[in-house]
Amino acid sequence: MEPYGNSGGVSSSASSSSSSSAASITKPHEMDGYLAEAGYMVRSSDLRHVAQRLERLENVMVNSPNDLAHFASDAVIYNPSDLASWVDSLLSASDLSISDLDFPGVIINNHHTALPTADTWAEIPPISAAPPQNHHQVTAVMEEDSGIRLVQLLVTCAESVQRGDLALAGSIIETMRALLTRVNTDCGIGKVAGYFIDALSRRVFTPQSVGSDGGSAHQNELLYHYFYEACPYLKFAHFTANQAILEAFHGHDCVHVIDFNLMHGLQWPALIQALALRPGGPPLLRLTGIGPPSPDGRDSLREIGLRLAELARSVNVRFAFRGVAASRLEDVKPWMLQVSPKEAVAVNSIMQLHRLLGSDSNRNSPIEMMLGWIRNLNPKIVTVVEQEADHNKAGFLERFTEALYYYSNMFDSLEACGAMQPDKTLAEMYIQREICNVVCCEGLARVERHEPLSKWRTRLELAGFSPLHLGSNAFKQASMLLTLFSAEGYRVEEKEGCLTLGWHSRPLIAASAWQVMPLPEATATATNPLGIVNHSANHV
Amino acid sequence: MAGSNEVNLNESKRVVPLNTWVLISNFKLAYNLLRRSDGTFNRELAEYLERKVPANTFPVDGVVSFDHVDRSTGLLNRIYQMAPANHAQWGIVNLEKPLSTTEIVPVIIFFHGGSFTHSSANSAIYDTFCRRLVNTCKAAVVSVDYRRSPEHRYPCAYDDGWAALKWVKSRTWLQSGKDSKVYVYLAGDSSGGNIAHHVAVRAAEAEVEVLGNILLHPMFGGQMRTESEVKLDGKYFVTIQDRDWYWRAFLPEGEDRDHPACNPFGPRDKGIEGLKFPKSLVVVAGLDLMQDWQLAYVEGLKNSGQEVKLIFLKEATIGFYFLPNNKHFYCLMEEISNFVNPDC
Repeated sequence: MEPYGNSGGVSSSASSSSSSSAASITKPHEMDGYLAEAGYMVRSSDLRHVAQRLERLENVMVNSPNDLAHFASDAVIYNPSDLASWVDSLLSASDLSISDLDFPGVIINNHHTALPTADTWAEIPPISAAPPQNHHQVTAVMEEDSGIRLVQLLVTCAESVQRGDLALAGSIIETMRALLTRVNTDCGIGKVAGYFIDALSRRVFTPQSVGSDGGSAHQNELLYHYFYEACPYLKFAHFTANQAILEAFHGHDCVHVIDFNLMHGLQWPALIQALALRPGGPPLLRLTGIGPPSPDGRDSLREIGLRLAELARSVNVRFAFRGVAASRLEDVKPWMLQVSPKEAVAVNSIMQLHRLLGSDSNRNSPIEMMLGWIRNLNPKIVTVVEQEADHNKAGFLERFTEALYYYSNMFDSLEACGAMQPDKTLAEMYIQREICNVVCCEGLARVERHEPLSKWRTRLELAGFSPLHLGSNAFKQASMLLTLFSAEGYRVEEKEGCLTLGWHSRPLIAASAWQVMPLPEATATATNPLGIVNHSANHV
Repeated sequence: MAGSNEVNLNESKRVVPLNTWVLISNFKLAYNLLRRSDGTFNRELAEYLERKVPANTFPVDGVVSFDHVDRSTGLLNRIYQMAPANHAQWGIVNLEKPLSTTEIVPVIIFFHGGSFTHSSANSAIYDTFCRRLVNTCKAAVVSVDYRRSPEHRYPCAYDDGWAALKWVKSRTWLQSGKDSKVYVYLAGDSSGGNIAHHVAVRAAEAEVEVLGNILLHPMFGGQMRTESEVKLDGKYFVTIQDRDWYWRAFLPEGEDRDHPACNPFGPRDKGIEGLKFPKSLVVVAGLDLMQDWQLAYVEGLKNSGQEVKLIFLKEATIGFYFLPNNKHFYCLMEEISNFVNPDC
């Protein structure tokens, strides 16, 4: 093979400039540092191989230019940062006429497995998007008016709270309230500041009122509905998770979805309809919905289940529902879910896992226990959607500042969607509850312990899960969804196989999918991915 | 004839390090997938493939950044500065104090490349490049987005660049020096270089002060096929065919490449003689097939009585500045630093 050039006597693993963080001499199994800074993950030892594949791909593309447009629109691409696999996937797609080939970790799909939507449309208007990276990010979109003064005061006040100087904190709160009267509180920094001043005020002046749930579960359900309507975050969560679940259920006749927070069951009609339209016919669908017990003796879980059953019947999907009432997610035990070994299981958690991160002197956080039994259910897929924020830092000031920036962006985005009153205010109240919990509560009472995707990734991998990449197909459909349900400024981004939705350059919510990692001691093969050593003819 | 249908792979492999070759070839092939022969562009797939990074008010390589989004246009400006020495100031955006009250801190407005069609201010390659600029030049950098073609043609990118210049000049927190003003330089690579030129013309006409232009293999062209185009077509990542596509996507429909946006100092341009145009630093890569147009640009500046310094990097290909693994990169950084810090 042709040796690659060493232009100017400087090789590809040359010493870096003093300002670069890239490794000066990269070991072969390590990622090439300069390519990593450009957003691409390639091991140094793989560089030559990738280069050869790129050459081959170029040859193919030059010789069949008409197929280019075909690849571009039909091929589903996963994880473009992984250069080696993306190039290989294109090469495979070009080598063959239309066919489905499964490669470990890389899937080519020449059909759309689309969820049915309200209308069809011919043209897809261009949508821009962007994937994020770093940990520890604090991104701000600032207005330059006396709003800046408010932010400074908020931060100073939070700092006083952290130091325990509640007298000073209290006087700053008074100053801020006075300043608020001179600022536009209908939108922008004025509005967000108002909510944070209220939260700080509660923490400083009426700490005894803090720690209550912040309203009944019923009220929360109502507000959730307004939040669902007023902005695209929950729709995106449902849509993306359903797409992944649909793909995971491919080829299975008995499927079981476990929803960690049923709410109004808003996520499921779309999945039921998609399964109804599946080529080869729908499977038997079981749905287990977890939710808080109803206060007034009503069985609201069952009511929702009945409505979903109605819908399923109308589209000829065999359906069974089971409600599991639990006031805390950690009270749910696997035997309550009655999972059968023959079914393909999907575990769906929309903004629930973070609630399991709290701990106090009496007990550790239940997250590991929960992830353990989820893994033991042997699910085909676990869909996880979480707020993309670091609101679980121990230090109050850091948490506060992070939340200030996060919710500023969230409120800005809400503004852009133009919901009518009173719906918009009710949606804001839903968000305000989160803010209060993050700012006012501690210990077990603080349930809004949001952590960014990078931390969830580590946690889930340690618990024995590996990522299932959401591909360009899901990305494209999420983008299409955005044009229907939102405004300019929302961005869907792809990063390392996960999708985020955010406001401009700040991701606010992250969706990912996971599968159970094969046990290391057994031999994994394509037909026995869990490496289960079993001499019978059937495999799980 | 050496045309776009021949694949001349051997040459580029010999002159760039392996990881650079992989990076730029990957862009090339991905971009081939995105351009359609009917002139439309697969924007969705482009955005999916684009590797982007967020801003960070905590230092990355000694540089902090934050984003400003213009509410009316939705366009992003990303501001980069040296990280404050005081750790307590990390994580906080300063919008009240100037950059300095004693010293002059240059502010470089950077227009990213991408042939008017690709990339964004928050693309990983440009975020990294801007951080390096800050470190080398001890400057503040404002990387700006502009509306891209084919969805938005001439003159949208120039209008956006002009708006960005006015915005930067009016930020009190970008001021420096004893006379409290914003010391602005315009910079850009490929289409960004083209935008920098046209924004500088507009600034000169409006008597808005720009201290210098830095053009990194700027994207210019013309109707005629020059010798470098013919000789280098397809050899170093770029083809005449793709250049033509991007011009067709950017210029008003029906226009040819002698349009003054593409060919300043060409037959249809009114010229800039007599204008108080900033001094220019023009960097030309010796293996760029468009170099004849860039050299003609330099000549055009000289003939108009404008100050210009040409850096001709004989063995450099396009995109040599993305990875700091070659001597051209270090040469470039030093030249830019000297250009914006003339008294040091």
